[in-house]
Parts: sequence; C-alpha cells; structure tokens
Amino acid sequence: MEILHSALLQRALLEVVVLGAACGALGVWLLHLRHAYAAESLAHAMLPGLVLASLAGVPLVLGAGGGVLVAAALIALAARDRSVGSEIAVAITVTTAFGLGAMLALAPHVPARLGDLLFGDLLGATTGDIAIACGLAALIAAALALGHRQLTLAVFDPVAARSLGGRPERVELALLALLAVAVVAAVQGLGNLLVFALLVAPAAAAMRLATSVRAQLALGSALGSLAGLLGMIASAELSTAAGASVALAAVALFTIALLLRPGSADRAPRRSAIEALSARR
Amino acid sequence: MNVSPPARARIEVSGLAASYAQGPSALRDVTFSALGGQAIAVLGPNGGGKTTLFRALLGEIAVVAGSVAIDGPTAYVPQTERARLDFPVSALDVALMGAYARTPWYRRVAENDRRLALDALARVGLEDRPRERFGALSGGQRQRALIARALVQDARVLLLDEPFAGVDRISEGAIMEMFDGLRAEGRILLIATHDIEQARRWDRVLCLAGAQIAYGPPATTLSTEVLKATYGAEIVVLEDGTRAIAVQHHDHEH
Amino acid sequence: MRWLTDPITTPYMQRALVAVALLGVAGGLLGAWIVLRRLAFFAHAAGSATFPGLVVAGPWGIAPPVAALGAGLAFAGLLSRLTRRAGTGADAATGLLLAAALALGSVLASDVYPSGAGVDSLLFGTLLGVSDRDLWLAGGVAGLALFASAALARTWLATGFDPSGAPALGLDAARGDRLLLVLLAATVVATLPAVGALLVSTLLVVPAATARLLSGSLRTLLVVGVALAVAEGVVGLLLAYHLNLPPGPAIAVVGGGLFACVLTARTIARPREVVA
Repeated sequence: MEILHSALLQRALLEVVVLGAACGALGVWLLHLRHAYAAESLAHAMLPGLVLASLAGVPLVLGAGGGVLVAAALIALAARDRSVGSEIAVAITVTTAFGLGAMLALAPHVPARLGDLLFGDLLGATTGDIAIACGLAALIAAALALGHRQLTLAVFDPVAARSLGGRPERVELALLALLAVAVVAAVQGLGNLLVFALLVAPAAAAMRLATSVRAQLALGSALGSLAGLLGMIASAELSTAAGASVALAAVALFTIALLLRPGSADRAPRRSAIEALSARR
Repeated sequence: MNVSPPARARIEVSGLAASYAQGPSALRDVTFSALGGQAIAVLGPNGGGKTTLFRALLGEIAVVAGSVAIDGPTAYVPQTERARLDFPVSALDVALMGAYARTPWYRRVAENDRRLALDALARVGLEDRPRERFGALSGGQRQRALIARALVQDARVLLLDEPFAGVDRISEGAIMEMFDGLRAEGRILLIATHDIEQARRWDRVLCLAGAQIAYGPPATTLSTEVLKATYGAEIVVLEDGTRAIAVQHHDHEH
Repeated sequence: MRWLTDPITTPYMQRALVAVALLGVAGGLLGAWIVLRRLAFFAHAAGSATFPGLVVAGPWGIAPPVAALGAGLAFAGLLSRLTRRAGTGADAATGLLLAAALALGSVLASDVYPSGAGVDSLLFGTLLGVSDRDLWLAGGVAGLALFASAALARTWLATGFDPSGAPALGLDAARGDRLLLVLLAATVVATLPAVGALLVSTLLVVPAATARLLSGSLRTLLVVGVALAVAEGVVGLLLAYHLNLPPGPAIAVVGGGLFACVLTARTIARPREVVA
C-alpha cells in the first residue's frame, strides 16, 4: 500500500487522525446543543481571513483565527436585534464574509489558490502544521474533559443550571471558541468547506450507536480518527483528493451507523415538513 | 438516611420584580416569606408569572427590583415533558448533578457525593434503576429523579413546577409522601399549580397574575374576589361559592 | 456615466442584468418566507447541495438546471427521511447532507476539472453564458413566486404562526408547505447560474432580512424585499463587471454592506429594540 511508503502521506495521515479524534468528540456536544449551523457558518466565515493570510504569506492559522473572531463578534452583534435573531445573523455574516473572501481570492492578479483554501491541501501539511494540529487537538480534549459537567448542565437543564453551579452562557461561548479552534486546526488540511464534515458526521454516527454521553464522546473520537484513516487510504489508492476523501469517509461512517440503527422516529409528534426542516432550538 | 436534616430553612422575598432580557416587567410586587416545613402553592393562570418567579429565584433571569433571601441552595424540579429527553443521561447522572455546585472544575465528583446520590435515589424509590436513561423513565419517575437531585443538592427550597401534572394516582400518592418527608426535614416547598383545589391542600398560597394578588393560608386567601382578580374573567365558581374552577386556555407559551 | 453605460450596452451584460432582476423578484418574495419560517440554513444547504449535480452535468450530458434540480431533490428527500423516519435532528441532518454534497462534489470535481478552473463558476456564478433557458427559468420562477405569494400568503403565514391551528382555519397546511418547498427548490436552481451554489443566500436571504428591519407588515416586507433584492443584484452585477469578478461574491458584499448600514442606523435610532 502506497501509504506505507510515503513520508508525505504518513504526515498527512497523522494530522488527519489527530484532528478526527478532536473533531469527533467536539461534534457530539455541538450536535447536542444544536449548533451545527453555527459550526458550518464559522468555517465559511473565516474565508477572508484565510485569503488575507495567504496573500500576506502568514501562517493560515493566524488568518483563520482572526477571521473567526471577527465573524463571531459580528454574529453576536447582529443577533442582539430582536428583528434579526441568531439564524439570520449567522446567515448574513457568513454570506457576506464568504463573498468577501471569494472576492479577494478571485480578483485578477491575486495568487491565492482559492481551491486549496476551500477544499484543503492535506498533502501539503508541514511538520509545523502537524504540531499545531496536535496542540490544538490536545487543547480541545482538555477543555472537553474539564468542562464536561458544565456542558452537561447547559444541555440538560439550562434553567436550573445556575442553581447547580453552571453558567450556560459561558458554556455557549466556550463551545464556540473551541469550535473556532477546531476549524482553525483543520482548515489547512481539509479546507473551509470540508472541515464541517469531520465535525458533524462522526459525531452523528456516534450519537446513533452509543447510549451514554461518555460513550458517545469516545466513539465520536474513534470514528473521527477512523474516517481520517480510511479517507487517506482511499485517497492514496484511488488518487482522489485527500481532504474530500476524508470527508466522504466520515459521511460513509454515518451512513453505516444509520443502516445499523435505522429508526428512532415517533418520539416527536408529527410535524409539517417545514417545521421539521426549520431551525428550532 | 445519610443526608442529615438541615436546620430550618427560610425564604424572604420583598418587593420582587423580574423581567426577561430588556422586556417589560413580567412579574411585580412579590412579597412573601416562609419557614422550613411549609409548602406554598403558587397559583395563577398560564403566563401569570409562576415560571417567572421560579426563574428569578433560581437566578436565571434578572431581578429588576426588590430582594430575595434564601439561606442555602435552591432546587428546580421542572416539568419534564419539555426537558431534553433525548440527552442520554442516566437517573444516577441526574442525581449526581446536585453535587456539581460543590465540585471544583478540576476535580471529579467525590466518592462521598456518589454515595449520597445513590442514597437519594433509594429514598425516592429509584434504587433499582440508577443506570436507566432519564428519557426512558415514566413521568412520575422523572420527577422523582429530579427530587433526588434536589436532595443531593441539599436544597433548602424546592421549586416544583406542576409536579402532579400527568402523573397517575399511585405515583401521586408516592410523591405526596415524599413531600411530607421533605417538609419534615425542614425544607420549603414552592409548588406551582393552576389547579385551585390542589392549592387548598398546602400551608400557604401565593396568587400571581403578573403581580402578587394575595398571600396567606388558603382558607382565608382563596376568596372569590381573590380568585377573580387572579384569573380575570376565566373563573367559574360552582355550587355554593366554596369551589371554583379556572378555565385553562390552550397553551401558547412564549 | 460610463461605468453605467458600458455594461448596459454590452449584450451579455444585458442578459445578465435582466436575469438578475427577475431573480431578485423571486428571491425577494421567497426570501420573506424563508426568513419568517426560519429556513435560512435549509436554503443555503439546498443551494450548496446542488454542487455535485452541477459538476457532473457537463460530462454526463445533462442540462445543468436538471442536474441541479436532481441533486436538490435528492437532498430534500434524504433530509426528510433523516428527520422524520430516522429521528435525526434537523440541524444535524442538514449539516450532514451539506457536508456530504460538498465532499462528493469536490471529489468529482477533481476528476472533471483537474485544473480547478471551471469550478469557480459553479460555486460563485458567472456573468457570461446566461442562456435563453436561464432567462426563461428566471422569468418562470419570478412569475411562480408572484402567483404563489398572492395565493398562499394567508396559509403560509397562519401555518408559520401556529402550525396546529391552521387546519381549524380551513387551510391545508401540509399542501401549502409542500408548495413552498417546491418553490424554494425551483428558485434555488434558477439562481445558480447567477450567484453560484455557495451563495444562493445573497438573493434568497440577505435582502429579505434587510427588508425585515425596515418593515412592519407582511406586504411591506415583500415589496421592500423585492426592491432590495433587485437593487443589490444589479449593483452587484455592475461591480462584478468592473472588477472582473464572479457575480456571487460581489452581490454578497453589496448585500452585506447594506444590511450593516441599515442595522447600524436602526440601532442608533431605536436602542430599545435590542435584546441583550
């Protein structure tokens, strides 16, 4: 197998396995707190930051971090208006930021490779990139472990959380910050558009198969890493794009989980199609 | 029983007003006090402020005027139909949440607290199902798990939101017994209800309709005038004026 | 005035401007409902989900709108099954399908467009090559949107406000919702050539959201929404022409900038509307 012989592929593999583990666990909490939309949007909204970093020759991580902070701040500002609300605030910030990023990248005479920023350049991972990925993944793991009780309260009983020592608003903020960290860590390898797959698919699979929160977190991590491994092998053997293969592997794992546990419908009352589709917390 | 009976609890609320975010005042002029061992019915129509009062006492929403003094933890036993039943925590996990406030963030929950949680579950009659998923329990069992949580908290004041709604007769009896036990330990119970007849069972009743209408023993407080003021035009007084029903509308919660 | 007369006198720009104006009508009308019924994430995801269809349209010899519609319907169908039969939350399911579509599209694209050159127009739209078919589609969708808005406004409004109460008012909520979703799908497909798969929100969400800040009633929301969508589309298109960019990002920046201005003005004028 090619992957066993190439140092390049092995580096990429290491990075994506580590990222998969961190994203898989984080994704479980994101889904429990119904933040999938925010997750996808933050990933998109950092595009201008990435483009500017790429143009300035600065590590992408810095551009990603800056972009995420600005985006999160704008979303928070816009969401405060009662006529706007958080879903719209996210939609507008993301669309505008993404458009701005694309504008910057596609302007003529600009050398930034938009394709790499959108879909990642996993095979171009340097040792520095891997070190950053591992560091950020460790940070996420530590934060999730230490914050486990806070997260539990925020999901299970936000009203009583304060009386039980919880601070739900801080939890929301902290989780979004961790999300930003994860996206920043993964964006070099998977790109702006695909990092989301690693955050959502392994977690969703784990949530179908495991029956306690701790088990879901562990399984989510394992499946995330597995997606990284399978995706890299497929990419090496079939010569498909690395980042996209990892993303597809993650989705494939969810599909398998879905086939293993097909239904848990009818707990919820029958709803209209739009009610089922619309963003309700 | 490993939870040593606390000293008599007290709660004093004076001129309390609370509102949601920057909206208008959802609740005004609430003044009452109670001592441990007492159970207070919080009576009023939907949207009249019962849940607002609880959230203010829990510190979850802002108090814009007045004061609240409670000496010790406050526990919330909400209606579980609206809870996150899909979140995979066990009955034991829920009981353990009562110990979170006293566990520093960098430590695991103490062994002592784990034992307290198991004892609490035993006390509420759930000792044979600690690992069962909260969402898989019946309505009455969920209530009891949340009461176990309150015991682990060693709460002085328990806020119970319609604890008998949708509960069968047998569970109702068990819950009443538990309440007697909690009161005997010197805790205070605040029981939100829209059932006027149920309100008559307790020591005091607090009538809320956006503001406090009355507070006192049910016999003297639940007069026709007070009920009319609390429920507006929705009251139906039966027979010889000693029994009354409130007409409940379909719930359009905010 | 050359910045205006130059594009207007260029044939391909004329077509593009007409197309975007028609799409603005559809987008402004539909956008009102997307905003009111909280379908912004769904609309964005539906747009992005067409990406794999667009990629294979050329090589497989299918007309792009058909391929896009196929991908979009597959997305909607799978989403419906996931949320209703399989008990996945809408949030997670939408996100999953979106990720799957993008991943699939990019794997296919690395095969179909090895140099990555043609992908931009699929993702961000193009000024060139607005065909007759695209214009017909845009016009058709605009007409449909007008008709449906007039006929179904009451149903959509009542269903959004109180889903369980709508039947009692004699309204067929389920059918109304199905029609809304079909119209949404058609509009998404129609806007793809102009703004690209990733930026359908520029015409379908942003103008309506801005209009909402300025409108008190449904009628105003619809009218202002259309006006803003058309204006933003046209201005964005002109900007794209002069800066030599794809139209999607240009319209996005115009729309976002306008929203920011309106929001700022509103916050200064009415600080009490803020929910902390």
